[in-house]
Amino acid sequence: MTFIRYILRRLLYVAPQLFGIILISFMMVKLIPGDPVVMMLGPVASQESIEALRESMGFNKTLLQQFAIYFGNVLHGDFGTSWQTTRPVVEDLVVRFPATLELVTLGLLLAMLIGVPFGVLAARHKSGPIRRFTDYYGLVAGAIPDFWLALVFVYVFYTIFHIVPTPLGRVDMSLLTPPVVTGSYIIDSILIGDFEVLGSTLGHLVLPVLTLGLINAGPILKVTQSTMERVLTSDFIQYAELSGLSPRTVLRQAVRNSLPSIVTIISVLYGFLIGGAVLVEIVFSWGGAGQYAVQGVLNNDINPVLGFVVFSAVLCLFIYLVVDLICFTIDPRMRA
Amino acid sequence: MIVSAIGKPDRAQHLPDPAAAADAQASSGPAPTSGLPKESGPGGRRTETGAGSFFLAVLRNKPSFAFGYFIVALVCLIAIFAPWIVPYDPMNADPSQYLLSPRWSHPLGTDSTGMDIFSRVLYAPRIDLTIALIGTLISASFGSFLGAITGFYEGGRTWRKFSSALVMRSADVLQAFPVFVFAIALVAVFGQGISSVIAAIAFVNAPIYLRLMRSQVLSIRKMRYVEAAYVSGASDLGIIMRHVIPNAIPAVLSQLSVNIGWSVLLTAGLSFVGAGVVAPLPEWGSMISMGYQNIVTGQWWPSIFPGLALGLTVFGFSLVGGSIEILADPARRRVLAGTVK
Amino acid sequence: MTARTIAGEFGSDGMIRVEASGKEGHLASESTRDGRNSKSVALSAFAGEVSTEQAKTPLISIKDLTVGFPSYGKTTKRAVNGVSLDIPRGEVVGLVGESGSGKSTLARAMMGMVPPPGIVEGGIVSLDGLDLSTLNEKQMRAIRGRDLSMMVPNPRSELNPLLTVGRQISNVAHEHLGISRKQAEAKAMEMLRSVRISDAERRFNAYPHELSGGMAQRVIIAIALICSPRFIISDDATSGLDVTVQAQVLELMSTLVRDRGASMLFITRDIGIAAHFCNRVAVMYAGEIVEIADTQSFFERPAHPYSVMLLSAFLHNPALRAKWTKKADDLSGAAPLSGGCPFRFRCVRARERCAVEHPKLSRFRPRHDVRCHFPVGTPS
Repeated sequence: MTFIRYILRRLLYVAPQLFGIILISFMMVKLIPGDPVVMMLGPVASQESIEALRESMGFNKTLLQQFAIYFGNVLHGDFGTSWQTTRPVVEDLVVRFPATLELVTLGLLLAMLIGVPFGVLAARHKSGPIRRFTDYYGLVAGAIPDFWLALVFVYVFYTIFHIVPTPLGRVDMSLLTPPVVTGSYIIDSILIGDFEVLGSTLGHLVLPVLTLGLINAGPILKVTQSTMERVLTSDFIQYAELSGLSPRTVLRQAVRNSLPSIVTIISVLYGFLIGGAVLVEIVFSWGGAGQYAVQGVLNNDINPVLGFVVFSAVLCLFIYLVVDLICFTIDPRMRA
Repeated sequence: MIVSAIGKPDRAQHLPDPAAAADAQASSGPAPTSGLPKESGPGGRRTETGAGSFFLAVLRNKPSFAFGYFIVALVCLIAIFAPWIVPYDPMNADPSQYLLSPRWSHPLGTDSTGMDIFSRVLYAPRIDLTIALIGTLISASFGSFLGAITGFYEGGRTWRKFSSALVMRSADVLQAFPVFVFAIALVAVFGQGISSVIAAIAFVNAPIYLRLMRSQVLSIRKMRYVEAAYVSGASDLGIIMRHVIPNAIPAVLSQLSVNIGWSVLLTAGLSFVGAGVVAPLPEWGSMISMGYQNIVTGQWWPSIFPGLALGLTVFGFSLVGGSIEILADPARRRVLAGTVK
Repeated sequence: MTARTIAGEFGSDGMIRVEASGKEGHLASESTRDGRNSKSVALSAFAGEVSTEQAKTPLISIKDLTVGFPSYGKTTKRAVNGVSLDIPRGEVVGLVGESGSGKSTLARAMMGMVPPPGIVEGGIVSLDGLDLSTLNEKQMRAIRGRDLSMMVPNPRSELNPLLTVGRQISNVAHEHLGISRKQAEAKAMEMLRSVRISDAERRFNAYPHELSGGMAQRVIIAIALICSPRFIISDDATSGLDVTVQAQVLELMSTLVRDRGASMLFITRDIGIAAHFCNRVAVMYAGEIVEIADTQSFFERPAHPYSVMLLSAFLHNPALRAKWTKKADDLSGAAPLSGGCPFRFRCVRARERCAVEHPKLSRFRPRHDVRCHFPVGTPS
């Protein structure tokens, strides 16, 4: 099974999945009680204007028709407009998604840097202080609510020590945001050499990245540890030890054999955090994509929600594909 | 080493020889057919090395396990007896007492509307735990049932195969949804309130149990002894009852415990956003949300204490889940037994 | 290549007739139960001659090795209970026993790798006079794979699925012999040819899951032998293979071991294979060696009732089997420390003395020891 065929096969699965996702999201949002038109126009709107708006938004058509229209639009890249921001959803998302991605990527990077080494350490030390620490770390990190930890950090580092900027948004409000190339403020500010913005961006990133990193290091640590433990007690590792190979060699083999699982958990976390980082985003007023979607749900603004769901689903599927490709490269058994 | 832990009679009770009593003590070791040693059964006298005393010894030797069980027990007790222990009515807002820092009359302080935080923190488990327990149990039973069925009829005759494939693809799609947004949307659909949160939790967690149970069933089906059972005429239901369920239970149990903790977190998160439990109902997440603005101005107690309680509770459940995982797996239990005295 | 066979019977005239044949030759013997009127045709070219000089300085010396598995609330189970065994240079000792007799634990203990929760409770293992228990882990690692190596069953699960087999073989050489990667790979390729893997160049870059069971086992052999160790343990290494493949692998093993002048402990559950190329045969039960003898003497005059039971299980004679096997409850693994002989529950010759006094290993014939109060052939 070659690379190309593998990719094609996977892509074949993606299409029906995407369709299903869009369909279900559409149905769900339509099921949310409350009349969006009334919410949009406010309590003093006249009956005619409500009717007019309803007609123009197409709410009088059947559900199936509405879905067909929506789906047709999506295929053209038109995700409608958010009545809260009065801008096309696509425009909003283009700004907001990079915000979330920048945050989540850096956060997961930190989580990997903490979780993987500690996970490997934990697998090798069956007892002792290191093991106790990693055991508790995994448990505590999985138990603490991330938004609460964010608040603790804000309290300690901002309210008490004043060493971080005001936790409002991605960059100091007095500064101009760099022109959008990738959407990542870090990259974009470097591109135009605006180091003041860069510094401010980094300063604003410290706390949320720290929060996400510390908490998500937990699952990464645990998966690394359990996979390594499983591999370290596997027959072939025992045999490698039996043949007298050095612990370093054995460890290298063990890590390599554990990679597929580790990469998988990271991808799962990534997918989760695209929507799941919303709580941290809220604490720091980040203006991310998840926040956008949540506001959409709470205010019966359907288009942002659907747009977000579709975007994030596509992103997730893409990530899973990349991960599968990585596993395909590492593990020769998958090529059979 | 697959074991039917349920209904396996104790070996000692079968040896007729009186000298065998001493032998039973001695006949030890990594015997693969011993499930959890049973407590003194009807008329049995094996309390010396029964499951109960083993469990207590493990608790003595592994303080972390003990701590976990302690926390869970404590939280459950608090949830049950809260109405009798709390010093103040948890929903009585006394504006004159707002934002008092911790002191003797208000051990954890008061929040911005004057409600006593200590009472609210103690009252919150009633809601959080109820939601998490019910939601998780629903998702576990529903998901496991579906998982067992799809696993069982995988690759079977056409309509079964089709429906199992359908269920799996639906589960795939469901899991492709961003979990949190999905939960919020569900709550929005069902209207705010406790039952909606329960429904959201059930929905979000069901695929986990579905996959768990399905993979258990699939791997057990492959085992030869199941083939043998078929050959000897056992029915489908019989096989499920006798083989599949007992072997899947440990995995499901430990998943359950961890899940309950996670569901509490999800509930808190939903409430924090305003899509879960409505204020002024005492719930840890919504308490954190209420105290959110005060953090910046220096009043840390309305948000910090609920979070601590929340973290501690989930921590306890995770510990319990971890201990179940070790105790339920015969191989790991043996290794544990070797280190315990 | 003739498959090795053993056939025999206990005639109604009271004679024991045993025949064993293999590539090296043929043994037929006939004797009465009490040893009188015995005649035997010695196996020719059987399992290599060992000079008396070499026999004096054992390569491997195990004294009183005891390995226990502690368990909560139960008395410790002794998987290996006071085993002593000397193996001189160039000798192949077969170790026969059923599952749970402690053979694998013994092998692991010799390599210094007892699986948890087992611990070595006492005894010494020496390699060429060097007490292995005095070595730290690093020194032990240097010995493993280089001076002392092991072959294991189920080869495909013992090889790393993500690495090519050639790489895995060369890793061992690279690690122990202090040679460069390139040299190690050349050596590995050479080894692949010695174990008679066809199309060695291509197989070098193959992954374990692409090989058949027999080929994977040859890879294991290559790994075990690439550093030309002085002592090799084969732990049931041929079980799980098809019979014809098994025969080929056995032949390969014996050739390679002979060529290198190495000693071997050949562990197996199949007593028939033990006849193939072992100088001596030892039988293990409940963690103890219950009989140990020169192969010829063993098959001529098996002394321990358990050995006879094992042999009768392989003979094509149901009546014989029925005569020597006692029906019992599931008792494998039981190590009653209440004294007496552990085999008594299954022994057709057990008497009162067996329940009380634990038999010691004692001389039965020249180069033939047995641990029994009433060995076969003596009045009981």
